[in-house]
Amino acid sequence: MKRFLSIFICSLFFAIPVFGQDETEEAPVKQKPRPVRSPWSSGLLIDNQTSVIYSPKTLEFVIQHKFGSVENGRSDLFGLYAPAHDIRLGLNYVIMRNVQAGWGISKTKMYNDFNLKWTVFEQTREETMPVSVTLFGNMAIDGRSKEFFESRKYNHSSDPDGPFTEHPYRFGQRMSYFSQLIIGRKFNEWLSVQAAASFTHYNLTERNVDHDKIGAHVSGRVKLSPQSSIVFNYDAPLKIKDISEQREFINHPKPNLALGWEVATSTHAFQMYIGSAGSIIPQENMLYNQNDWQDGGLAVGFVITRLWNF
Amino acid sequence: MKTKNVVVILASLILGVVFMSFMNMQEQKKGAPWNVPAEYKSMKNPHKGDASLEKLGKAAWAKHCRSCHGNMGLGDGPKAASMKTFPGNFKDAKFQAQTDGEIYYQSFVGRDEMPNFEKKITDEEERWAIVNLIRTMK
Repeated sequence: MKRFLSIFICSLFFAIPVFGQDETEEAPVKQKPRPVRSPWSSGLLIDNQTSVIYSPKTLEFVIQHKFGSVENGRSDLFGLYAPAHDIRLGLNYVIMRNVQAGWGISKTKMYNDFNLKWTVFEQTREETMPVSVTLFGNMAIDGRSKEFFESRKYNHSSDPDGPFTEHPYRFGQRMSYFSQLIIGRKFNEWLSVQAAASFTHYNLTERNVDHDKIGAHVSGRVKLSPQSSIVFNYDAPLKIKDISEQREFINHPKPNLALGWEVATSTHAFQMYIGSAGSIIPQENMLYNQNDWQDGGLAVGFVITRLWNF
Repeated sequence: MKTKNVVVILASLILGVVFMSFMNMQEQKKGAPWNVPAEYKSMKNPHKGDASLEKLGKAAWAKHCRSCHGNMGLGDGPKAASMKTFPGNFKDAKFQAQTDGEIYYQSFVGRDEMPNFEKKITDEEERWAIVNLIRTMK
């Protein structure tokens, strides 16, 4: 799968000159290149960000919900009546053209996350820029009680059975970070695809869990009508020995595969999906997701966004 | 005594329901005449008759306009019934007699229940594609 992912990401870049943007129209010679229309229906695509940033002074309210695992079948209506895996409420505000700042609070570890998204380059209809380039950064604060951190002990020796020592609590232990470079392209009216690379860092992790993780991501949208689309994403935490602190990869986080249906209007986007991510904020998924989509580790979820313009 | 109370309550409820059924729902009012600024009235449509924008206009209509204005611009979209003001019938000759600029102003600047779409539809070509589509609703 990783090999397929690598080939796919590479082919996306090489395919750029091959696939024509069918939206391209003969523009007047001196006209400023215009960004492609609606490369995505929303700034969110299931568990990922897209290049979409709305007009300046737009406020977006986001509700993200992941139900329980489907593995119990009818007994809890495929997880719909089970305790939710995760819930996140967020607000995003567009500060200036192509720059958005956001905040959200999640059920998992009561994360408070502060994020910033900048679409550096937009894909243009004239093909002067064949792809969109977006940077996304997220800083999260673990919001659990101080006692949780105080009660933890750490083994700093190279021997896994070495002595455990207690460390005094420091606020920095709560911090985690996620940064991502997203390159996307709207190939035609019905197909948009994006590939991304990410870096996750936690200041404090459990034993056998790395502090850093590099990830590869692919997401896409297949439009069925002006308002509805099939959407998907695949997020793979990579096994890179050079940045790992472990002798071998034990409990390596599982990739997240999700497939959903999206409906978008002027002011709303609604995505209903089934996927294997256990949480909503990306750094948690990249380091701790243990849901295996090949082994029933799937859950139904939804994303609802509401926009207000000021 | 208890039975009497039950009878009184039931009778009151039934009378209430019967009374309410004779009450008319508040009727939707027609929108007051628009006060369109002169610069919009005289605004020229740079994409007039551009058939290549038809698909774009239809897609934008489905996303932004159809829920209130209906499929054919008759003001019969699913949200229309809950509005205080009738969204208008674009088939009406009086409506179609307006200039493209007037339709542009009403569509994207808006007023009251007709929201402003200037920040939602930022592309000028897409706006004119919608105006062109409205023109076909005669």
